[in-house]
Amino acid sequence: MLDCGMHMGFNDDRRFPDFSYITRSGRLTDFLDCVIISHFHLDHCGALPYFSEMVGYDGPIYMTHPTQAICPILLEDYRKIAVDKKGEANFFTSQMIKDCMKKVVAVHLHQTVQVDDELEIKAYYAGHVLGAAMFQIKVGSESVVYTGDYNMTPDRHLGAAWIDRCRPNLLITESTYATTIRDSKRCRERDFLKKVHEAVERGGKVLIPVFALGRAQELCILLETFWERMNLKAPIYFSTGLTEKANHYYKLFITWTNQKIRKTFVQRNMFEFKHIKAFDRAFADNPGPMVVFATPGMLHAGQSLQIFRKWAGNEKNMVIMPGYCVQGTVGHKILSGQRKLEMEGRQVLEVKMQVEYMSFSAHADAKGIMQLVGQVEPEGVLLVHGEAKKMEFLKQKIEQELRVSCYMPANGETVTLPTSPSIPVGISLGLLKREMAQGLLPDAKKPRLLHGTLIMKDSNFRLVSSEQALKELGLAEHQLRFTCRVHLHDPRKEQETALRVYSHLKRWAPRSFWLGLGRSGARGGSHCASRQRPQGPLRAAPSRWVRDCGVHPHPGCCPLRGPRHQGAAGVLDLPG
Amino acid sequence: MDPECSQLLPALCAVLADPRQPMADDTCLEKLLDWFKTITEAGSSLLLLQENPCLVELLCHVLKPQDLSSRVLSFSLRLTGVFAAQEDCFQYLQQGELLPRLFGEAGPLGGAAWTAPTVRSGWIQGLRSLAQHPSALHFLADCGAVDTIFSLQGDSSLFVASAAGQLLVHILSLSMRGPAEGPPGLQADDWPACAQKIVGHIEESLRSTAAPQITQALNVLTTTFGHCHDPWTQVLWVQLHPLVAALLEKDPVPAAHSLVDLLLSVARSPGLSSSSCGLWETLAQTLSHLSPTQAGLLALGILKLQDCPQALRAQAFAVLLQPLACVLKATAQGPGPSGLLDSTSADSVTADILLPSKAACVGLLCRTLAHLELLLPLPQRPCPWPQAPLLGAAVTLLQLCGGSGSPASDEGRQLCTLLLGCVRVQRAALDFLGTLSQETGPPELVTQVFAVLLEYLRSPDSSPTVLKKAFQATFRWLLSSPRTPGCSDLDSHALLFLRELLPVLQKRLCSPCWEVRDSGLEFLTQMTRRWGGQAGFRHALLASEVPRLTEQLLRDPESYVRASAVTAMGQLSSQGLCVPPASPEHPGGQQKSLLGELLHILSTDSEGFPRRAVMQVFTQWLRDSHADVVGDTEQFVAGVLQVAGQDLDWEVRAQGLELALVFLEQTLGPPRSHCPYAVTPPVAAPASPLTQALQPLCRVRLFEFAFRALFDCDRPVAQKSCDLLLLLRAKMASSSSLQEPRSSPDVASVEAALQRWRAGDQAQPLGDLEPEVVLAVLRSMDLEGLRGALAESSDHVEKSPQSLLQDMLATVGILGENEADCY
Repeated sequence: MLDCGMHMGFNDDRRFPDFSYITRSGRLTDFLDCVIISHFHLDHCGALPYFSEMVGYDGPIYMTHPTQAICPILLEDYRKIAVDKKGEANFFTSQMIKDCMKKVVAVHLHQTVQVDDELEIKAYYAGHVLGAAMFQIKVGSESVVYTGDYNMTPDRHLGAAWIDRCRPNLLITESTYATTIRDSKRCRERDFLKKVHEAVERGGKVLIPVFALGRAQELCILLETFWERMNLKAPIYFSTGLTEKANHYYKLFITWTNQKIRKTFVQRNMFEFKHIKAFDRAFADNPGPMVVFATPGMLHAGQSLQIFRKWAGNEKNMVIMPGYCVQGTVGHKILSGQRKLEMEGRQVLEVKMQVEYMSFSAHADAKGIMQLVGQVEPEGVLLVHGEAKKMEFLKQKIEQELRVSCYMPANGETVTLPTSPSIPVGISLGLLKREMAQGLLPDAKKPRLLHGTLIMKDSNFRLVSSEQALKELGLAEHQLRFTCRVHLHDPRKEQETALRVYSHLKRWAPRSFWLGLGRSGARGGSHCASRQRPQGPLRAAPSRWVRDCGVHPHPGCCPLRGPRHQGAAGVLDLPG
Repeated sequence: MDPECSQLLPALCAVLADPRQPMADDTCLEKLLDWFKTITEAGSSLLLLQENPCLVELLCHVLKPQDLSSRVLSFSLRLTGVFAAQEDCFQYLQQGELLPRLFGEAGPLGGAAWTAPTVRSGWIQGLRSLAQHPSALHFLADCGAVDTIFSLQGDSSLFVASAAGQLLVHILSLSMRGPAEGPPGLQADDWPACAQKIVGHIEESLRSTAAPQITQALNVLTTTFGHCHDPWTQVLWVQLHPLVAALLEKDPVPAAHSLVDLLLSVARSPGLSSSSCGLWETLAQTLSHLSPTQAGLLALGILKLQDCPQALRAQAFAVLLQPLACVLKATAQGPGPSGLLDSTSADSVTADILLPSKAACVGLLCRTLAHLELLLPLPQRPCPWPQAPLLGAAVTLLQLCGGSGSPASDEGRQLCTLLLGCVRVQRAALDFLGTLSQETGPPELVTQVFAVLLEYLRSPDSSPTVLKKAFQATFRWLLSSPRTPGCSDLDSHALLFLRELLPVLQKRLCSPCWEVRDSGLEFLTQMTRRWGGQAGFRHALLASEVPRLTEQLLRDPESYVRASAVTAMGQLSSQGLCVPPASPEHPGGQQKSLLGELLHILSTDSEGFPRRAVMQVFTQWLRDSHADVVGDTEQFVAGVLQVAGQDLDWEVRAQGLELALVFLEQTLGPPRSHCPYAVTPPVAAPASPLTQALQPLCRVRLFEFAFRALFDCDRPVAQKSCDLLLLLRAKMASSSSLQEPRSSPDVASVEAALQRWRAGDQAQPLGDLEPEVVLAVLRSMDLEGLRGALAESSDHVEKSPQSLLQDMLATVGILGENEADCY
């Protein structure tokens, strides 16, 4: 299962996926080999503790080391907000988050991890947020690449996504900005700094509601550098008390950040902030300008909402929303332009402070997605994590420009992809020797037809001589005789006629037929073949991909034998 | 509907009907529908439509050929269904021909919009809501909806296909409920045409050679028999039973999983299982036809049934045990039966499944172990329970996986190769082994159990998840180890084992994996809680390095581990098993108390988990009158409340209130009623003792802490504080001082300060409060009103219908960059 996210817009059962679609009565662990989490955002990992501790999945969960470290912070943050708001039943506990995280197997970038005998996975750098990864999932010769969320351009603290030209059968890519060509992030950053600076200069207070980790760190770097450069004195606070841990992880996983941060790391760690201090609740009432990062990011509970209520009435102040807000939150209301907000007890809060929206989300735009498809060279592309109308546009673009078939299933829709799995077959030495004995040397440029009996046993395929197949399987040879009666109207004597027929056949009949005649002796001109089902229920489980790709998984073996031509498909080549 | 909402509705309908206005948030329409459902459940839909004509206009408007969003179309279909669920409203909509135009061939069904799964889903859900009365059935028949539903069972969308199946079950059940004059007869020929049509379709599907169609039919039947237990279901089963039984004659059995679900659903249905319609024979036949991988779930289902023939139960249990019998047979040291199954002739098939492929072998074994684990605690589990061979099988599997098994036979060696290092089987076997501790076993086997557990706990190859399960299983086996009746002490064998176990635990507490250190600490806490008072355990533990290591883990870099170490140290200390901790600044030098160390964590740890754990330990210590606390309880409580009150984590502040409550109860005596708000008869108590009793509470500044918490921005804290103050007021209720109105400058200043706190300015402290002032303030506060307000979700205003409508309207025209952004 790729990612296990939640919907922030609902407070009931609808916030988590309905896992009963995977199995109604069976155990989830029997249906899933593993869960792979691409990054720590809640729409990708928010349902994980619910899935593993409440629904009952007990198998392995794979994610990168930074995601493993940061994921529980975000989950805990969200749990606290959900419980804080109240009315939240059926929610996971702190202990459940911990127990869930204990099931995680952390992976390194470019490390091939063998999930089981058949399934292997490999992580690639995705940009987007610290620890975000794309995953290549491989079974036999077939593979899928799942991008999660990614960014094809480097930003202030992260690099651009990169992946091998791995030519998978399918590339599952996000398509948030399927139709957008985004402007340079530098412009948005400049705009952001300008607005904060202006507000602080006029003595106002700036509130930036954020979630504990991710964008908050990016904005912190931005402000820290700006404050340093401009020698500004107004205090910057981070309210959650999580900064320390968050910054600890950003320091710990410095290799996951971009080149610039890594290079300057020796002289000065970007995440050791000089200007950003821990916030105390009493500071909100302090006179003078300040900038405060407070959670939660949608102004729907807790600290950020409390500060917002205090500061909303002053037009000198400013709130900057750096991300999307779902309906049912104060954040959504002010972003949609509402300025008179009803509060508890029929009180009305007039929002006089300046409201700004700045998108800092780090997704690949249409150009970036096309670039990735070109880089990976998949057989097919499947678009997810986007809007249908925009996906439709991108789908056409991919199909027309890159000549790759593209799919965009709705939630719950099944897509069936035709693939040609290549199944390795071992060839017996005896068979090779026999072929070599015919005198033709192997030539890599000229494929040659090799005849033998295909045996499937223990999920392995082997091509052996028919004699060996019969011997190995303990089967008796059955022979089919093809005979025909020919009426000759010849006035000559019987012996004379026989001689004439003999010399005619000697002259015109194919050599093989002749050999066959010779070998079968008195049996006359017959071709023989044997076909026999195995004795007893010799069964073997077909391999996963054989099963999925629609190859008939007959759980037995079927040796075919003819004097000259033997084929796995059971076609007898009868000359003449 | 509120007048405010009614006023907003026309504008909203106009926005919805306008194809140029896309909805920003996909949850809005869902929430809008939720709201309409609530309204129609409480009142008349007809009246609603008549009072708000804009709704019908919207429904008419979506039918016009235009480029309307599929989401709005789907919403309209579902909304129509919600309204038409009431028969008078259904007739009203029928008069306007609205229903056939929406749900018939002329509607979206025949148009381009139908390609969107959300529209198909809306169509089905609309009909599902609508189909509540006989008129709806006629409508469904007239517009040919049932045929469309048949085809939607095979839809490419999982949600649509599943909903179509559910709808068929609903229609069948509705049509069999019959008109007011009574339900239809029990003869299938007398059934309504609609029901006959559905049954005919199911029969046809069951005869089909296509597995998906068979699966659909089986799923519909499973839901039918699962939800409806009317007599007609028996007739249906008798009619369809031969077709279902015929599926077993096919090789391989098609849709085996769905078939198992159906048969179990029938067996669980009270009417059906008691009737003599060949159910038990079919179940027996199915058990023998299905492969062991498919039959396990059926076998478990059969064994869970309350009433079931003994022979079938025996057959089912044999199926369930077969894979483990196979393992025991393959690894048996000598010839002879393994003791799990008497007959070993039947296990050739299992052996074939088990041995050739690793995936099949692991899958079958994990499923078997999980099924047996579920079965063991049930009262209807088979009797006699083969505890000894099952223990043997679990131990053998763990040995094979761990590499310590040395089977003599070829099959055993093959099994060993397949299972060596297999984490999946290890996890399943350890869980199963832990569950088996509910029963006892022969001493030599129990010794083997402890040996294999120790082997796993020691093994450097054990993964963190395996180690966690090994710890859990070990604790369960220690709990169940034989002991003197009425005594919870560990017996001598368990103590011997403990001496071997503690060095292993010691090593695990030093593991580089935080998961392992944490599991080790959790295990230690469990053991200490259980046997901390027992001499043998105490002696063994104190002789080990475990307490010292635990103390060191208070400074672990991982916060989860620090929190677990705090809990473990709290437990050790409660039992007097604590070694004095070394000062972090001077290791090995001057030693400081655990209390000081924990207070240090509470005030300085950067993360919530350890601080919360400290508060839990302190609360428990106060409750248990721990030695460190008893010395100067007031100073302890005052110190803790002061630190907790400043904590940024609201759960720490809430824990502070828990501690305050314990102190309050200890000072004033336990509450007379379990519920603080229950009406209790007043018991006369003199006034002066109450004010005296409140003195310690004032000295520890409990009231300042509680009043501050009452206006906390985090609602659970405020709620808890409100409960605490209400409890206090309930205690005062009997006191004459409550009746004495008292106003003084002190009271006025406190009330003014509280007003400021309420407004968000909590900078100014209350200072020293006199009990009389506290009583007066408590008397004047509307705590009940506050409790009512706090009972609502903190975002209830933003979540109200009016707010939803305002948000939807406010979004119009401002959609830009915001919509594409997401976290």
